[in-house]
Amino acid sequence: MTDNITSVHAVRGHRRAERRLATRVRVVAEAYALLAPSLAGFLLFLVAPIFGVAALSLFDWNLMGAPSFVGLDNYRELAADPEVWRAVLNTIYYVVLNIPAQTVLALLLALALNRRMRGGKVLRVVFVLPWMAMPVALGIIWSWVFDPRHGVVNQMLGLVRIDGPNWLTDPAWAMPVIASVNVWQYTGYTMLILLAGLQAIPHTLYEAAAIDGTTPVQRFFMITLPLLRPSLFFVLVTNTIGSFQIFDTVFVMTQGGPGGATDVLNFHIYQQGFQLFRSGYASALAMVLFALILLVTAAQFLYFRKRTVYDFS
Amino acid sequence: MKKIPIKRIALYLALFAGAVVSVAPYLMTLNSAFKEPSQVLTTPAWEPAFPVTLENFAQVWSQYDMAGFLLHSLVYAGVVTAGQVVFSTMAAYAFGRMSFPGRDALFWGYLATMMVPQIVTLVPLFLIMREFGLIDTYLGLILPTAFGTPYGIFLVRQYFRTIPKDLESAARIDGAGTLTVLVRVLLPLSRPILATLATITFITTWNTLLWPLIVTNGDATRVVTLGISALKGQYSSQYHLILAAAALALLPLVVIFLLFQRHIVRSIALTGLK
Repeated sequence: MTDNITSVHAVRGHRRAERRLATRVRVVAEAYALLAPSLAGFLLFLVAPIFGVAALSLFDWNLMGAPSFVGLDNYRELAADPEVWRAVLNTIYYVVLNIPAQTVLALLLALALNRRMRGGKVLRVVFVLPWMAMPVALGIIWSWVFDPRHGVVNQMLGLVRIDGPNWLTDPAWAMPVIASVNVWQYTGYTMLILLAGLQAIPHTLYEAAAIDGTTPVQRFFMITLPLLRPSLFFVLVTNTIGSFQIFDTVFVMTQGGPGGATDVLNFHIYQQGFQLFRSGYASALAMVLFALILLVTAAQFLYFRKRTVYDFS
Repeated sequence: MKKIPIKRIALYLALFAGAVVSVAPYLMTLNSAFKEPSQVLTTPAWEPAFPVTLENFAQVWSQYDMAGFLLHSLVYAGVVTAGQVVFSTMAAYAFGRMSFPGRDALFWGYLATMMVPQIVTLVPLFLIMREFGLIDTYLGLILPTAFGTPYGIFLVRQYFRTIPKDLESAARIDGAGTLTVLVRVLLPLSRPILATLATITFITTWNTLLWPLIVTNGDATRVVTLGISALKGQYSSQYHLILAAAALALLPLVVIFLLFQRHIVRSIALTGLK
């Protein structure tokens, strides 16, 4: 509806405009009334804390007494702290172990399931089953599965006469084991999203390409991959953001050990903020994690924007 | 054409292997939880429980407040889910079907916060709860997520936008107000998405560790994630106990998931397609 009816200088028009205005005011009031609860929660428990953490990062405060303003000291301290650098590298290592493995596996599964087949629907449900598992419970189960003496993995390796390592107490293996929990948990979920993307690609393209005498591999790289880019972009961005926040499995399985080998940023922040009660320093660390996630997300956006995205919807 | 069956068989075998890997941790855990305590360590995990015993479950149930942990999680996840569904629906209607000044800016603001890592808000959230005297209370646990999350609002809004406007206009002509339209016209059509949102919210909240870890510390509000991780810390090598506890924590979700799997599978697939 147009709003410039008031420009008509007739009494009837004026009345109508007044009525419209009244309706409009009512609609706006109703909209904000509907929004009110979520907006209150949003401002108080999400927006205010985001600004709060930025402010807190400039203070030194152990939660007792008065906070004292220290400017950028917290940031100077963390930049000089080798434990922080280790936590940053550990977090990146975890993401790198996690995302490519999970995405490639999910893509292969999605390609395999992207056809009419018996039991396809049941398989989909089975593959998504890990997604809803409680990470804490998985941490317990994985600690058992990778137990050096009583765990399934070393028992199976024993069957082929391989002496398995002490997985979770071995600094080289602890992180890959923790990453494997996440790969197991999210591969099916990622597969579902990619499968939906595959199913949106028009069949006619493949038929035309087949008539032109292309091989299936050529078709994968020239049709499937480019057209799957929006879905791939979505899963890469959201899964990466999630992976940077790994906490539960580390908390349950290793508590950051052995020797700091799995001390990831989220766990380090938790320890500084809620075990040592250094809220200012923990806030500065949280800002670093936030910046890291923004940086990686921005890089992913730029990388994918350079490449053409087709839209068939 | 004669070659295809071999390829097909290989494909099915690979998919079958994947399916086995997906369910094996669940099955092995359940299997071991039903074994006699001494057998959990002496027999391989794939060997079926025989004789089947409920001893491990009885032991965690009687020695720990497992019933309490589960109950506290049920209250926490139940109230958050109810709040999320009601308030997200209201907000989604405003964002998806009404026009008002500031709508798009606000909506983008909501979406932007989905990129903020949870830990960023936790120190200030803890301070807010301490200021209100809500540490170690259900209110403190529940408040941050009970008013609807940006994710929930986004999910329902996208769904609302697919419902034809004509249905709504017809009701409006009959004199229905906004609330009537929402409750009588849109909600009945939105059952699938609301079931999905409720299930996903319940699962996420049930599984949450970090916020309960920070905001509660007493027995009266101890949720199941905290309960079983403490158990793991204390009895890390007594697998018969901690596996039974893990099974008890996982099972309610498996049941809920299987009940709503059709909705969930469909809506996960949709999230990737805008």
